[in-house]
Amino acid sequence: MTDFIIETSQLTKSFKGHPALQGVDLQVPVGSIFGFLGRNGAGKTTTIKTLIGLLRPDSGSASVFGIPVEDENRSVDIRRRIGFVTEDKELYPYMTVEQIIRFTRPFFPKWRDDLERRYLRMFELPLAKKIPDLSKGMRSKLMLLLAIARGAELLILDEPTDGLDPAATEDVLRELVAVAASEGTTMFFSSHQLSEVELIADHIGIIDLGRMIVAGSLDDMKARYQRITVVFGDNAFGDLVKTPARWVEGVESVREEGRMVSILASHNVEAIVEQARSIPGAAVERFPVTLKEIFLEHVRRN
Amino acid sequence: MLWYKGWLETRFRLVFVLAVVAFTFFVQSYGGSKIEARAVIFSAGISVWLICVFLAAAGIVTQQNLQAAKGLHGSTLFTLTLPVSRFRLLAVRAGLGWLEMAGGIGGLCCLLWFLFPVIRGRTTPREMVEYAAVLIVCGSAFYCITVLLATFLDDLWRVWGSFLCYGAIWWLAYKIPAPASVNIFLAMGDGSPVLAHTMPWTAMAFALGLAAALFFAAFKVAQHREY
Repeated sequence: MTDFIIETSQLTKSFKGHPALQGVDLQVPVGSIFGFLGRNGAGKTTTIKTLIGLLRPDSGSASVFGIPVEDENRSVDIRRRIGFVTEDKELYPYMTVEQIIRFTRPFFPKWRDDLERRYLRMFELPLAKKIPDLSKGMRSKLMLLLAIARGAELLILDEPTDGLDPAATEDVLRELVAVAASEGTTMFFSSHQLSEVELIADHIGIIDLGRMIVAGSLDDMKARYQRITVVFGDNAFGDLVKTPARWVEGVESVREEGRMVSILASHNVEAIVEQARSIPGAAVERFPVTLKEIFLEHVRRN
Repeated sequence: MLWYKGWLETRFRLVFVLAVVAFTFFVQSYGGSKIEARAVIFSAGISVWLICVFLAAAGIVTQQNLQAAKGLHGSTLFTLTLPVSRFRLLAVRAGLGWLEMAGGIGGLCCLLWFLFPVIRGRTTPREMVEYAAVLIVCGSAFYCITVLLATFLDDLWRVWGSFLCYGAIWWLAYKIPAPASVNIFLAMGDGSPVLAHTMPWTAMAFALGLAAALFFAAFKVAQHREY
């Protein structure tokens, strides 16, 4: 097995001529918590559906656990080893909590009774209640139980905290991190909530218009990306500093705010700072950036 | 467990369809001695259509697919992400519906026997069992038409689509100069063990072959379908 639990190469998919994925290259390391980010319609759900065998790629390749997803027979093996939480958290409306657990258990030989009991107790799920009578938060927790208790090596979570209140979000995130730490489970989750991705992910990938525009370790990314502000005594700093092309390599964007120019750098920060300091009358400062800033910068530019 | 899930999903429709069929025959049985055996057998054939349509339409996995695309039935994704092949998903649902259909036809034949003296008077119990077997085998062809339609049509259209297909096949069966021995409609009516006192083996074999071909086509559609 490779070091990557999910690998895609030049994955493309279109629907009625509209491209949804345009050559997606994705590598999810074993044991990582991978935040998969993108705007609505960016290609997150299409990528996820391709990985679990619900969609067939037009071209390119994708594998999970080293198993090609295009192989229908072997994709059953993939699904046996993953836990999946859908975006809408819908389950069979005619079943109770107890029935859905009893239904799901036999499909997974590695089902963990201990985890089932633990999460039933922790999430206070009412066994006799029908699924439509559960709140969305409770349904999310139930789906999480069904995903984790199957002894999955990989959890694929599509907007796991969508629609949850802050307290339920906190519970779910805490449990995800606990499972990753205690069971060594890899997590691949998509989310719009950048703050929660930043909180728990160690790797991120940003997809936009069907293309991966950024991917890598979050720590590396945050170490590489910096915001540099250059403050001038008056407004006469000219076009030189406002034009990214005039800077040394690594400047992603330059924004003018009164007497200040704010620069987002993706690498080569020292050289950029050096260049800024060489401008007469400039006061230069550098700041760490948030994931939100990185995301917005790339998505807007794309 | 897929059988269990299928049963939970289809049981109310099964009860409803059987109740409608039973009610129809109870009402018809008030005709007493004026009722002809041929009319009863004709009604039974129509009932088999009803049973086939509503049981096959009731829960083929793809029923939920189209709804899922509209965001109405996300539980389909849960089913499709279970470690189960498309063939098994389809086979279990189609198999369950077929068993329900066979049970329904068995019940229908019991009704005919007990409610209509005109049937009891001209048929032996053995012929009634043979008649049930003919209805089940020939009904399988109709059932598989609906199974096939259910793999790519939504709930409403598969019901109307099935009736349109059945009607079209009935019309063709009498318009095309095909041998009477392979006429499934004839086998379920005038050529049945109740009226003709013989087993329509050729028509039954034709119906089985047709059902197998239709099921294979349904499997191919389900296998290549994207969700």
